[in-house]
Amino acid sequence: MNDQLDIVISVRNVKVGYGGKAVLHNISFEVTSGEVFVILGGSGSGKSTLLKNLIGLCTPMAGEIWIEGINLATAEGEERRDLLRKFGVAYQSGALFGSMTVLENVRLPMDELTSMPGPLKEMQALAILKLVGLGTSAQKMPAELSGGMQKRAAIARAMALSPRILFLDEPSAGLDPVTAADLDLLIKEVARRFGITFVVVSHDLASIYTIADRVIMLDSRTKTVAVEGRPAELRDTATDPQVRRFFRREADADASRLHL
Amino acid sequence: MAITTQNDLETDLQFGPPGFARVVFRGCMNVNSVGGSWKKLEEGLRAIKVEKLEVDASELQLCDGSGLSLLRYVGMGLMTPEAAVSVRGMDPDLEQVYRAFTLEDYQALRPSSAVKCRSIPDDVGRGVRQAASDWREQIEFLGEVTRNFLPTLWSRRQTRWPEVGRVFEQAGADAVPIVSLVSILVGLVIAFESVQTLAYFGAQIYVVNMIGIIMVRELGPLLAAVLLAGRSGSAFAAELGTMKVNEELDALETFGLDPIRFLVIQRIVAAILLTPLLTFYSTFLGILGGVLVAFALGFSRSLVYHQLTASLHLSDIFLGLAKALAFGAIVSAVGCLRGLQTQEGPSAVGVSTTRAVVASIVLIVVADAVFAVLFYYLKK
Repeated sequence: MNDQLDIVISVRNVKVGYGGKAVLHNISFEVTSGEVFVILGGSGSGKSTLLKNLIGLCTPMAGEIWIEGINLATAEGEERRDLLRKFGVAYQSGALFGSMTVLENVRLPMDELTSMPGPLKEMQALAILKLVGLGTSAQKMPAELSGGMQKRAAIARAMALSPRILFLDEPSAGLDPVTAADLDLLIKEVARRFGITFVVVSHDLASIYTIADRVIMLDSRTKTVAVEGRPAELRDTATDPQVRRFFRREADADASRLHL
Repeated sequence: MAITTQNDLETDLQFGPPGFARVVFRGCMNVNSVGGSWKKLEEGLRAIKVEKLEVDASELQLCDGSGLSLLRYVGMGLMTPEAAVSVRGMDPDLEQVYRAFTLEDYQALRPSSAVKCRSIPDDVGRGVRQAASDWREQIEFLGEVTRNFLPTLWSRRQTRWPEVGRVFEQAGADAVPIVSLVSILVGLVIAFESVQTLAYFGAQIYVVNMIGIIMVRELGPLLAAVLLAGRSGSAFAAELGTMKVNEELDALETFGLDPIRFLVIQRIVAAILLTPLLTFYSTFLGILGGVLVAFALGFSRSLVYHQLTASLHLSDIFLGLAKALAFGAIVSAVGCLRGLQTQEGPSAVGVSTTRAVVASIVLIVVADAVFAVLFYYLKK
């Protein structure tokens, strides 16, 4: 939909980790406007840590992360608030506020951060909820929703301020294949209709082939990016055995690892 | 739709022939600019009666979700209830999104503004039912603990003594500093305050008798139990509550392990073993606080010792001990029960801990009163 390929996120030689211990190093990639970009990796490969750095919850140990032309680590005050408003985050567990209805959850960012008139907030919250297929559940409490519905509600809340970028942490984790496929469709549809850039952290192969325009795969042994490219190409052309196994969903041939 | 220049939104409201109005939006419709536009439209359209409203969106450069909401609100005619509204000039992509949410959707999904009226009989009934089921659960719990208590202790395999030791350490040994501070201060303060009244009668020395009796019979057990409730009763409720939320209790049951035997009895045993010790310690320090005041008044050590031993009987100490045992059982059992009763939801564990502490303290005070009455009649 977008003709110009402007770069929305630029990650340059980033090293991330906890408490002085690096989990990933030498990470560089760029995300262009309107694409669905997937960060892929096995369990414990540092996907979620990288995401925490991308959304500004942690600061990288080295390197820089630029979002919409602003360095996330050095932005302060008004500039940082503006930047944070440009993206929405849907957490793995949904992280909906349990004491509020779904509608109130979606309204909350608008209530707190904008001067929109009340009826418009309601209009927008209802429209987003209908878009994610939760229109009739607007009055329910988060605890009354199923796992898939909670994730969709989380996406709806992340979309409340019309962000340019949406970060999703493991959207299909813990969902059945049908629900996961529905969610994939939703992501694809939102990206297409609204031109929102998606950065998705995932290990779900089936969904990658549906949603991803581009993928990077993190390697837990070398602690850096193993490959980058379009998912179908990677499946056919990857030479690294671990990457091939991952994309073809094969088990490690060496059964002795199981200690049977 | 992807132009990102942040220029402002111009809302041009034109009035043509009578009853006809036209709104032209120019520029950038986003979260920051819709508020002003809304105000202008509301003021402009409220003033006159409009029969036909035309919305022109052809000069919009950017329209985000909030802008879309404004277009919808105006376009659905919600601002001009009596007018026929037409929207034209939308970018085709925008129009497609615009059409996905219609007036019918809006009306169907809106929360009904009717305030639900609460009926008093309904509330009373609900309250009674809840109280009844709570009582039932408490009685069941009491029965189950009693039934399992001795068999669990008898069988070596079922009582996990290392676990008892852990609870003993956490709830007892780790509580020593705070019990010391609180007891000695309470002893000091009570002695200090009452000495001033006793001075009217020249009976300051009796402060020692008083602090001895009050600490051994009342405050020693009470302080130890209240601190136990705050430190450990709440911890029991939180531990068991978290286990319940994490389905760990279900896991135990599917192994054929009874949570009462596996988790509750251990805690009750530990609490019953440690409260007498904690009570003695608290009593001792409370008396010490009072004695310090007596020393400060210039009474000799032998006089203070004499007064203290003369005022206390063995039966007082047994009463304190009996109270300590009962309080320990109450605090630990209530903590565990509230933990096991934990409901679903993010605040459930917090609710359980609060309920545990409140119920423990109430029951301690009630039990204390029962002891006072019992002891009075037993002594007669």
